[in-house]
Amino acid sequence: MSNASSGMGVADHSMNTFMQLKRKKVHRYVIFMIDEKTKEVVVEKTGDPGESYDDFIASLPDDDCRYAVYDFDFVTEENCQKSKIFFIAWSPSISRIRAKMLYATSKSRFRRELDGVHYEIQATDPTEMDLDVLRDRAR
Amino acid sequence: MYGGDEVSAIVIDLGSHTCKAGYAGEDAPKAVFPSVVGSMDQIGAVDDLKSEKDSDSISEPRNDGRQTESDKEKSRRKLYVGSQALGYRRDYMEVVSPIKDGIVVDWDIVDNIWDHAFRERLLIDPKEHPMLLAEPSSNSAQQRERTAEIMFEKYKVPALFLAKNAVLTSFASGRATSLVVDSGGGSTTVAAVHDGYVLQKAVATSPVGGEFLTECMMKCLENRGIVLRPRYSFKKKEGRPGEFQTVELDFPNTTESYKLYSQRVIASDIKECVCRVPDTPYDESSYANIPMTPYELPDGQTIEIGADRFKIPDILFNPSIVQTIPGMERFAEYAPSIRGLPQMVFESINKCDVDIRRELFSSILLAGGTASMQQLKERLEKDLIEVAPQAARVKVLASGNATERRFSVWIGGSILASLGSFQQMWFSKMEYEEHGVSYVQRKCP
Repeated sequence: MSNASSGMGVADHSMNTFMQLKRKKVHRYVIFMIDEKTKEVVVEKTGDPGESYDDFIASLPDDDCRYAVYDFDFVTEENCQKSKIFFIAWSPSISRIRAKMLYATSKSRFRRELDGVHYEIQATDPTEMDLDVLRDRAR
Repeated sequence: MYGGDEVSAIVIDLGSHTCKAGYAGEDAPKAVFPSVVGSMDQIGAVDDLKSEKDSDSISEPRNDGRQTESDKEKSRRKLYVGSQALGYRRDYMEVVSPIKDGIVVDWDIVDNIWDHAFRERLLIDPKEHPMLLAEPSSNSAQQRERTAEIMFEKYKVPALFLAKNAVLTSFASGRATSLVVDSGGGSTTVAAVHDGYVLQKAVATSPVGGEFLTECMMKCLENRGIVLRPRYSFKKKEGRPGEFQTVELDFPNTTESYKLYSQRVIASDIKECVCRVPDTPYDESSYANIPMTPYELPDGQTIEIGADRFKIPDILFNPSIVQTIPGMERFAEYAPSIRGLPQMVFESINKCDVDIRRELFSSILLAGGTASMQQLKERLEKDLIEVAPQAARVKVLASGNATERRFSVWIGGSILASLGSFQQMWFSKMEYEEHGVSYVQRKCP
């Protein structure tokens, strides 16, 4: 059931890129943006498995909203190597209200398509998506 | 399904204190005017002799039943809407508000307010524009249906959407999940929004709002012997060049409600200029010796305000202070049941699922006119950190811009209605005619 969502579509390429991240570990992160002309969520950038979290943060714009998926590798207390996928809704407070609104209303529709995301984070400034926050969430 | 042409939608937010209306896609509402109206009973203005004659001539319809009589009386009432019409003093004009405790009690007045907004302020024909109306987060099904009915039947709008205030504010700040604290004129509402839905069980309201604080301010000033002269009751006369004298004018036929309304406008301005939320809970002794701030009243009198500057805003956090103000006794009985702001927030969050509580604590949004009070954000954050569980990060967000805070609901609605992808969500006239008014519950969740 719709809930004041904006009815934005999801491009096939976006779904495929996400699948690649999930199954074949080809990317460390994928950044999505909304293309208002085609009314779809499209892939803006992908990152190699070798890139770090700081590279990821640097790729996000300071004053515009984006969606992102990040593959987070960590070691648990029992010394198991684990990997969890984070969905991040990046909506900085200095961006234009129109952008915030657009991304916020289209998020749930897009999120539903991404099957296999373990955790979701809402971030409005860099501290909210600090590595500590991810470590805290992923157990 | 309404396709949506290039014609832009109209967004209306009818609050208990002000009504905001404007075109979708714009930054701020074009029409902002009070939600109270001046009402003049035509019968009351007529003198005794004539009224006797009138009662003779309408004795026939009176026998038909009370319904007709009250309808006739209502239709004789003339309403004055808008700040210009209200600002002009008229004999026997009463000030009436259509909304009590957040619920519309007089649909006739609401109808007039919408009419005024469309025809006199925005200068549009409602037949041509889809309407987005903002509604309170705990609106009843009956109210929504009545709203839809009036919109489609009387104004013949092509499409309609009812959006909840809290959801619009939440989206306007870029979050789908947040706790919205909307502190407006008539009341303060705390609502939890999760993924675009308002969690009804976690909605809390309190009657302490901007108007309540204004009334406390008025009582405080009265107790100190300061008389607020309404603007219409005096005139400045030039005695010698450059020197003005205040001459008092007397209008015996002015109603009590109008006098109170004019005084409230002045007290409200004082409140907005000098009040600040104290950093720590207010107590008489510590604020007894602070320096006073001067304020010039419209009639030229200069008054000094000291401890009251901090006492009044603290009522939001600690409603029992009201009991110490003489003149506010009528609130004393139910004051203990009113919760302070931090308690309301904490209770609201605790009524939600354990999983989302953490996220709610770190995204508390402030909205509404009263939320623009200085230092409110800092004080709320501080109070909440004390009551929140250790592990939770408390973060209170408020838009820096005062206009954005005051109109955040309207702005959210403006953008939502202008999104290209939203156009398929409208509740269209065709759907209304096909499925009836109760379909509004499905289309506008």
